[in-house]
Amino acid sequence: MSGRSDRLIRLAGDARILSAQDCETIAKRVFAFASGPGETSVDLTSWWNGELRWARNRTMLASDRRDIRVEIWRDVGNGRGNVSTNQLDDVSLEAAVHAAERSAVLAPIIRRPTPTQPPLPNPDRPKTAIWSDATYAVTPEARGEAARALIAPAEARGMQSAGYLEMRAGSRARLSSMRMGTIPAPWDIPYAAWTQAQCSMTVRDKEGTGSGWAGLSSYDWARIDAPALAARALEKCVASRHPVTLEPGRYTVILEPQAVCDMIEILARAMAREGAESGMGPWVLAHDDVLGLWRSKLGLKVLDERITITHDPADPQLGIFPEPWLEPVTWFDKGVLTNLVFDRGYALGQLNVNAPRRGLTGYRMSGGQTSVEEMISTTTRGLLVSHFSGIRVLDSASLLSTGLTRDGLWLIEHGQISKAVKNFRFTESPLFVLNSIEQMGVPVPVFRPVKNPYETGLTPAIVPPIKSRDFSFTSTIDAI
Amino acid sequence: MSLNRRLFLKTGVAVAALAAVPRPLYAQFDGAPELLPPIEDPRFASLAARALDSARRAGAVYADVRLSHTRTRQFFPVVTYDAEDMEVGVRALVDGYWGFASGPVWSPDEMARLGREAVHQAKTNALGKPRIVTLAPAPVVQNGSWTMPVKIDPFEISPFEVQDHLSSLNIFAERAPDVGLSSNDARSTMQEKAFASTVGSYCTQRSYLTLGNLVVGLTSRKTKQQSSIQLDCVSAAGLGWELFSADTLPRVRDHSLREEILLRAEEGREDAMLPVKALNVGRFDAVIDEISIAKLLDGTIGHATELDRALGLEANAGGTSYINDPLGMLGAYQAGAPLFSVSANRSEAGGAATTKWDDEGIEPDDFTIVKDGVLVDFQTTRESADWLKDAYTKSGKPVRSHGCANAPSAVDAPMQHVPNLALTPGREASDFNALVSGMTDGIAIKRANLDMDFQHGSGLGLAAVFEVKKGKRVAQYPSAGFLFRSTDLWKSLLSVSSDKQLRRFGVTAQKGEPPQTCYHSVTAAPAVVKQLTLIDPLRKA
Repeated sequence: MSGRSDRLIRLAGDARILSAQDCETIAKRVFAFASGPGETSVDLTSWWNGELRWARNRTMLASDRRDIRVEIWRDVGNGRGNVSTNQLDDVSLEAAVHAAERSAVLAPIIRRPTPTQPPLPNPDRPKTAIWSDATYAVTPEARGEAARALIAPAEARGMQSAGYLEMRAGSRARLSSMRMGTIPAPWDIPYAAWTQAQCSMTVRDKEGTGSGWAGLSSYDWARIDAPALAARALEKCVASRHPVTLEPGRYTVILEPQAVCDMIEILARAMAREGAESGMGPWVLAHDDVLGLWRSKLGLKVLDERITITHDPADPQLGIFPEPWLEPVTWFDKGVLTNLVFDRGYALGQLNVNAPRRGLTGYRMSGGQTSVEEMISTTTRGLLVSHFSGIRVLDSASLLSTGLTRDGLWLIEHGQISKAVKNFRFTESPLFVLNSIEQMGVPVPVFRPVKNPYETGLTPAIVPPIKSRDFSFTSTIDAI
Repeated sequence: MSLNRRLFLKTGVAVAALAAVPRPLYAQFDGAPELLPPIEDPRFASLAARALDSARRAGAVYADVRLSHTRTRQFFPVVTYDAEDMEVGVRALVDGYWGFASGPVWSPDEMARLGREAVHQAKTNALGKPRIVTLAPAPVVQNGSWTMPVKIDPFEISPFEVQDHLSSLNIFAERAPDVGLSSNDARSTMQEKAFASTVGSYCTQRSYLTLGNLVVGLTSRKTKQQSSIQLDCVSAAGLGWELFSADTLPRVRDHSLREEILLRAEEGREDAMLPVKALNVGRFDAVIDEISIAKLLDGTIGHATELDRALGLEANAGGTSYINDPLGMLGAYQAGAPLFSVSANRSEAGGAATTKWDDEGIEPDDFTIVKDGVLVDFQTTRESADWLKDAYTKSGKPVRSHGCANAPSAVDAPMQHVPNLALTPGREASDFNALVSGMTDGIAIKRANLDMDFQHGSGLGLAAVFEVKKGKRVAQYPSAGFLFRSTDLWKSLLSVSSDKQLRRFGVTAQKGEPPQTCYHSVTAAPAVVKQLTLIDPLRKA
């Protein structure tokens, strides 16, 4: 009984996430509770969040939160049952295993034997930089201190600052009763732990006529220059006050890196090869009536030739969760579409390949040498866009999307910022934007955190600012 | 005969009964860990008191603790997923600053640690500039206990029964060659919650939430074109399995689920028969169906009258509000036409935000947000109600929280979330089709989805839009959207249908940093507005 009470207090105190040893111990206990033969696998996730939220120049809430998820899969006969719990004591785990066994009876056709498939090769597991002691070590005191320092400049200028600081650590392991102490199967996930830090803030003036935002996320808190973010948000707020209404229409735009990231996001979610080869989505070329199949745009130039988008787990600046088959991939090579995402079923059935191609999680985009200041000075008439919000795809074939500009939009006239402008709704496709590029700047990391602590992995992005022609703004909105 | 049924017969009743048995979990009171008793067990009160004592001793002027035990069951026609979580969260107030600490362990030691940690979190910020928090009064709840009344507890029936029910819907839909269900699943949650605060309140509750995702897919017999219609009658509700199994449900559906599938399929066929016409961009009088009105109400008034949002506390998250001067606008701001009134509650039977006590131990009251077109109140918590003190005092209203504190579970800190909303019905007896019959020239709008701006003041609606001439829908627009500003929209309201036409829908709302998603219901009736701006959303500038 004493052992049980020990387990009840796990994750209480200094151990904020499960260690590799913890995961192995829990898994062995889970496996021991299985009644009868059949595989048992367990997927263990734990997370800790240290958070601080402020608004109107005062901290609203500082918090320390942590939780666990133990997801158990149990094979009985041809069925596979699934149950999850967040309790680690023996009785709860045993009950969960037995519940999974009962539930397996309910799901008799889910697990089909697949004798025709070749054995899956064991993948390389990328070594990635995703743990930072600097992030894990930030104390509540340090967060409070940091927040006060971030608020101070805005408050001194009579502005209202609102923002959020979060330090997170997480762990995950997916282990199987069939392979304890042996080579893991491709779909197992050996223990991995990661950290994520994020800092973002919005500064508004008291009259509500101006707003500025800045933010950055990284696995490593040491890479986030928070005071610089505070200065940028404040500067943008001051500069965006008293905006004028401008006619909707087509404008040359200078998109800051965060706005470019918002555009790439639309592309990143539309990279399915299966869709492209069955007549859906943006990468369909045409139907081949002779062979009776759809041709995709793979191998064709689809973006400006200055654009290369890659995804390399070994990139120390990126930091991506080490999922199997997460190889270095070039998605767009000098504007040519070179890779699309597919699962193993599609790989075996259609491509004669025995491994899936994992999606574009974190990525790096190529850029140029032009600074935003230079872009402005070479623009006769155009708009400087900070970022977008509320983006929705209207047409999956052209990726035509709508959304809003937010937190700072400025008119550029004769090489200089002339005035702040009221926000617009846009109706535009990233494919058009990325084919109408005039200039590109130096790529920098942007704000792209994972928001749900149960989602493993990190989604960093490194993107440049760009200047693009004829961006379509369709209506003005009053929101500041 | 489904595979489940065969298996059920083969394996017998014993297995089926077993599948419904709740799994034992452990909690630790004073001695060794033991099986988790129902939330009404008085020993939870002493467990909760441990957290409060610890927070008080560490220096909290106010503290509350919540324990939540959540069971979730996801049903698909051939598989059921089960999840069970226990959480505890302690919130403490020190010198006007809030701290919060939470985790998954229910034991005396952990209660004490979380109490201390919450105070520690608060104190690190209290080192800075002073902040004043006055909590609106909280009537003491002594040993309150409440269970949401549901007809069929989804955790008491066999999952076989549910899976069979879902499978049978598939089979039923597919009897018609052009119909199928492109999505067909359901989810039920039961949450047991204990709440205690240093005010002296202690209460326990058990509540339910059930929702389905049923999409009728329709293939045109002529063109082979596919369309789909979501069944809104199974959106989130504070109900049990009766959401699916009942023959009728007041304000949700007048027919059985099978008949609803047939009706939606028939509606889809009728819509598809209408000739396709190029869009006439311009301003038109519009008949709008109840689900679209519900979404419009939620997207405009529902979010903009969250007091914390209106005061800029959400500026870095979901955004601010066009109602940006709460004290100045209260009782003065014209939010719509005189026939536009909106009320809020957390008490209606079947409501997705319905509860007996909120996450601050307050019994929510039913209140009016917009009365005869004028903004008269905001959604509040104990902290935010006090921000309206001057306005309340001036109008002779008591300063009280409307009980809008909520959170998905105890691992999340409580914050203000949208309660159930209801549009006050009008005098127009007609339903959507009758409203169309009464229109000589205009448009009809069904099944709108909204893109709102971050101040929730203006938006773009994407919907099924039809041309109406002499009381008949004569054409459909393949791509149509409408632009609106919140205040203009509700000021242009011509009529609202009567209470017989009211329908209730469950919706989600995300808020805060870290983001939290909570459910609430919106009750609305079809309505007619004048001069709505119709656009082609696919047309670039």
